[in-house]
Amino acid sequence: MSRRMIVYGLLALVSLLMLAPLLMTAFTALKPAEELVSPPWVPPLAPTFEHFVTTWVDANFNTYFMNSVIISTVDALVMIVIASAAAYALTFLKFPGKPIIFGLLLAGLMIPPTAIILPLYVTGQRLGLLNTHLGVILADLALAVPIFIFLMSAYFRRIPKELRDAARVDGASEIQVYWRVILPISTPAIITTGLLEFLWSWNDLLLRLLFLTQDNLRTLTVGMLFFQGTQTRDISGLTSAAMIMAIPIIIIFIIFQRHFVQGMTQGAVK
Amino acid sequence: MAARPMASRPMTARSRRWSPNRRTRQAWLTAALFLFPAIALYLVFAFIPTLEVFEYSLNRWDGISPDREWVGLGNYDRLFSDRIFWEAFVNTIEWTAIIVVINVGLGVVLAAILARKIKGRIFFQTCMFIPVIQAPITTAIIWRWMYQPNGAINEGLNAIGLGFLATPWLGDLTTALPALAIAHSWSTLGLSIVIFLAGLQAVDDELYDAAKIDGATPIQAFWYITLPALRPVTAVVFVLTATAAFKAFDLIWGTTQGGPIRATEILATYMYKRGVLENNYGYGSAVAVALLVIVTVAMAVYLYMQARRDD
Repeated sequence: MSRRMIVYGLLALVSLLMLAPLLMTAFTALKPAEELVSPPWVPPLAPTFEHFVTTWVDANFNTYFMNSVIISTVDALVMIVIASAAAYALTFLKFPGKPIIFGLLLAGLMIPPTAIILPLYVTGQRLGLLNTHLGVILADLALAVPIFIFLMSAYFRRIPKELRDAARVDGASEIQVYWRVILPISTPAIITTGLLEFLWSWNDLLLRLLFLTQDNLRTLTVGMLFFQGTQTRDISGLTSAAMIMAIPIIIIFIIFQRHFVQGMTQGAVK
Repeated sequence: MAARPMASRPMTARSRRWSPNRRTRQAWLTAALFLFPAIALYLVFAFIPTLEVFEYSLNRWDGISPDREWVGLGNYDRLFSDRIFWEAFVNTIEWTAIIVVINVGLGVVLAAILARKIKGRIFFQTCMFIPVIQAPITTAIIWRWMYQPNGAINEGLNAIGLGFLATPWLGDLTTALPALAIAHSWSTLGLSIVIFLAGLQAVDDELYDAAKIDGATPIQAFWYITLPALRPVTAVVFVLTATAAFKAFDLIWGTTQGGPIRATEILATYMYKRGVLENNYGYGSAVAVALLVIVTVAMAVYLYMQARRDD
């Protein structure tokens, strides 16, 4: 009995310590100016959303937020289509040169995006993609697509071959089989792909820092970097900015928790 | 009449030779249709840039002007005698080592506790996983604020009577790097725990019951059953944590930008400074190649281990 108590006490303590930074950030963001002198772990007595409004409107976070939403959503949706299509070909189709494609994609699992940022920037420049959301989206997709192709392939391999063969015998084309037979029964893999790509896209800084230099195009991550560079002492501003960034992701996480945890364990390579 | 089979035989022979070709070509076209978007993007925005990093590193170039000067291994020659590069290299190793020790050490212990039959396990797991989904730049802002001289950490130490430990964590040459490593671990530990938990599911519960009957303490059970069972997963967590730490950029760029002096300069920040801020694409790429080679080799070893485990 007492041993149980120790275990629970320990787990509760660790959990609290892990959540403490976020809780204190939330408390501080909600505190009116006169309460800022109280220690950060003391909850606000008269919570106010005024700092959120200031950050959202005056510091341009509404624009950053929309830019992040657009880029991450497009990333997630397009990733689902291109990764599943490629995985379909690699799992179900026979064609010459398959090992070469596999090898290429395997190499892609090992490339750290940080290390290739310089040529990526030059590529963006050459193609006229700097200061466009399209450029960020294309690079995002390219850098993560190998992982999702392998993730989707792993799922497709567990689908009975007879299912696809039966549809083919009935005269369906490969595209019809892919779209009407395979994708509808692959919901778990699709959700995982969409969520992870959304998350990675939402959280990425370096690529956006290089590609998006115009303020009205910037995402939350870049906006936050510059905001904290100029507003070092504006604690309410900084904490409310951090919350604007964290809250949507936490909500999505709580809804799709199982998919996140499974997917990140599988896709931990990135 | 006699001529017909004569004529048709070479025809069938030819069509037999033809049809597999046509089928191959069609198979290839169908596959290409499915593969094209992913592979084209991957080649243009990932694979070719990876090759270009090596090419850039052999030139002197500002990234914009048409004149590139081929310098062969000149950049590497300079790199190996660049004291700051070696400082950044040593810092990267130290930063990675601290993170790996925390994530593997705490990760094993917490996973072992969570793996036992415990009520509310999902709740505890969620609490520990929420930092993992935060953007590194969010982690940077929160921890930079907490580490301030009058921030949460020092106030907390004062409150529990350990005020003598208070220090400007990120302004001090000796504490800045470990302090940031702890922030990085905060935002990655949950993932290590979950991977360890997945590994523990393979351990038979009867083993623990048997050990209990034989009078083993929980610590002994952990030492003789849990740890040996986790050896393969430990290797996985080790490599994943280490590579993630090695290529980290956002957290340090969002807090100290490599300072104070060069106490938190790591390879990624040094590459960014020389390459992007100083427009020295050749030299920056030589730093990037060092980063790329280390991470790629580690990942290759990891994928090899994974493949062997799956067999």
